[in-house]
Amino acid sequence: MTVLGYLANGLVFSSIIVLGSIGLSLVYSIADFANFAHGDTMTIGAYSALVTFGAVGGLGGAVLGLPYGFFLALIVGIAVAAVVAVGTEKLIYEPLDIDSIGLLITSIGIAFIYRAVIQIRFGADFTRFGVEPLRPIEWLIPYGIRVTRHDVAIVASAAVLVVGLHVLLQYTDLGRKMRAMADNPDLARVSGIRTKRVKLWTWVIGAGLAGAGGVFLGLFNQLSPRMGFNLLLVIFAAVILGGIGSVYGAMAGGFLIGMINQLTPLLSRLGEVLPLVPDGFGIPIGIEYANAIAFVIMVAVLLVRPNGIAGEGAT
Amino acid sequence: MSFLTDPRGTLGDLTRPEAWVLGVSVAFLLLLFVALLAGALGPTYFLFLVGLAGMYALLSFGLNSQWGFTGLINFSVAAFFGVGAYGAALMTADSSPIAGGFNPLVGLIVGLSVAFVLAVLIGIPTLRLRADYLAIASLGLAEVVRLVVLNERWLTNGSAGLRGIPSFFAGWPVLSTFPQAMPGLRLEVVPGSPIFLEAPFWRASLNVLLVLGFAGATYFVLRRAHRSPWGRVLRTIRSDEDLARALGKNTYSFKMQSFVLGSLIMALAGVFYTHLNLYVGPGDLDPITTFYVWVAVILGGSGSNRGALFGGIVIVTIREGTRFLNDFAVPIDPAPLRLLLIGILIVVVMRYRPQGILPPQRELIWPSAVDGSGTPDRPASGVRERKRSDDLENRSENAENRSDDRDGNGPNGGDDDE
Repeated sequence: MTVLGYLANGLVFSSIIVLGSIGLSLVYSIADFANFAHGDTMTIGAYSALVTFGAVGGLGGAVLGLPYGFFLALIVGIAVAAVVAVGTEKLIYEPLDIDSIGLLITSIGIAFIYRAVIQIRFGADFTRFGVEPLRPIEWLIPYGIRVTRHDVAIVASAAVLVVGLHVLLQYTDLGRKMRAMADNPDLARVSGIRTKRVKLWTWVIGAGLAGAGGVFLGLFNQLSPRMGFNLLLVIFAAVILGGIGSVYGAMAGGFLIGMINQLTPLLSRLGEVLPLVPDGFGIPIGIEYANAIAFVIMVAVLLVRPNGIAGEGAT
Repeated sequence: MSFLTDPRGTLGDLTRPEAWVLGVSVAFLLLLFVALLAGALGPTYFLFLVGLAGMYALLSFGLNSQWGFTGLINFSVAAFFGVGAYGAALMTADSSPIAGGFNPLVGLIVGLSVAFVLAVLIGIPTLRLRADYLAIASLGLAEVVRLVVLNERWLTNGSAGLRGIPSFFAGWPVLSTFPQAMPGLRLEVVPGSPIFLEAPFWRASLNVLLVLGFAGATYFVLRRAHRSPWGRVLRTIRSDEDLARALGKNTYSFKMQSFVLGSLIMALAGVFYTHLNLYVGPGDLDPITTFYVWVAVILGGSGSNRGALFGGIVIVTIREGTRFLNDFAVPIDPAPLRLLLIGILIVVVMRYRPQGILPPQRELIWPSAVDGSGTPDRPASGVRERKRSDDLENRSENAENRSDDRDGNGPNGGDDDE
């Protein structure tokens, strides 16, 4: 594969990471704790979509190789993830009287409960959506890019969701309230913002985006009960790289981490790829360490620039 | 010891949760004992379970000296456990790709040394971080360790794991042949279901002795350390790191010491696990191991070593009990059931008893100061002395307030340094 091919793959994977990291960052800044159940919220979205798609089928036509029924399933996946997250907030997190560390530990318990329920219902094995796998797009193959129309659909849908979120945050009342609350919850409260309601909306948006990310992850790879938890640390890396609490930072961080993750194979043959570097030079790191690289970057960012590349207050 | 001289008084002194835990434990032990006598529970397997419980207690002690004493959120328990286990296994196992065949004592030393180096390496970058960042970073670095163990086949045998590990006492003068030398016994308590006590049983009882030795030594070291001036500094860091710094303590250095101490204890548990299970694989480094230990500690009560012991037993009950449930009552795969129980346990504890079932009591005063009459002897007269004894009472109240405060405020006290 050529560099362009890896970049294209990186773009697809980045879209998924971005969807996950926005939600995590929103919840981190507004509910004020590191939500370890975020990855499993993605899994919930993916499996809800799997069930829905199995029930409704294709529904006639198709866009970008994906039947209409899949888009319905995507919406159901988003909705179920959001409903589950709001229910968890109402039933579990809200009545708790503990600090953010206690909430963090609780969210690990929640993550296990989500995953266990899915595993009891669907088993631990890998599954796939019942969508026909596609061949890579013909006219891109000469450039060394092997992406399917499904991948294009993933990137396009993610772009639509991200732009929608941008509009919501910048131009609507709710968005302004959310930004105010992320900035200073007490001040937001005394200025008459109903912070509890805003918090619920944050969960809806964050978990909804996570659900969408989960569905796309299932389409990009496979579905398994561990898919979300396995991705969780990569998403944390993205959020920390972008700066916790900054939605745009999370987008940038997600993009970078997703790219780095997919570009790992290039590290071992840097010489061929980069100019000025002698041929045959490379960092001998295999693809199996792609996630490890993300974690090391995360720790390095925490040390050098704890506020992330975007800095704080850029919500 | 006071239990022997005055059983009724000691029982009366117990707090409600203490009495409750004691009752449940005694009932549970009786149940196990009946099952043993009836032959429903093999004695060798029972001893294996005891060994496992001791191992979890040891892991919980380790985490306790990090989270309970100093308030460090370490999510890399599995990494230290795994490093200890792999260190011992690589030195002793037949199938070891690097050395193998050494005396288990060499394995013990190597396991602990590698864990020491790893603890310093992980500690240097992460211990300066805010509490929640430390959690994420340590979990990430533990995953890096797991990936290395899984993928570096030349070093660790990869996903196949290591087999052919000798018992810990292999090569010792008497103990190495003790299981074979002991006569096979046959007990028949309930007619028709005899119990055999043969070489595996004696091997298992040696293991239990070993873990009792490890855990007992650790317990006394930790108890002493906790009450020493060193332990006091750690508790100060836990409740308010800025205060400790203002008092002239190098908090980073103290955090590192506590982190390394805890990690060594975890590695010790790993070494024991190697010789108990006689097989180690990359699955043992799975994050779930970390969270088992976390559940044990927060269930027992953060900072409380008795609680850690209790938590360890609960974890083994969940881990092994789910297998029986699967066989008899609930036809659910044990792995997700275990996950579900652990998750529910975390949520329930955090909801109803965030300080744990057996939270540490009077952790800021020496027990000798309150033993006997409950309060120190008060001199017959003199304002000054009177004032001092009031002081002591205040301090014991403070001790309780402190622990409440910690639940409300977070170990690093840290909203200020965001």
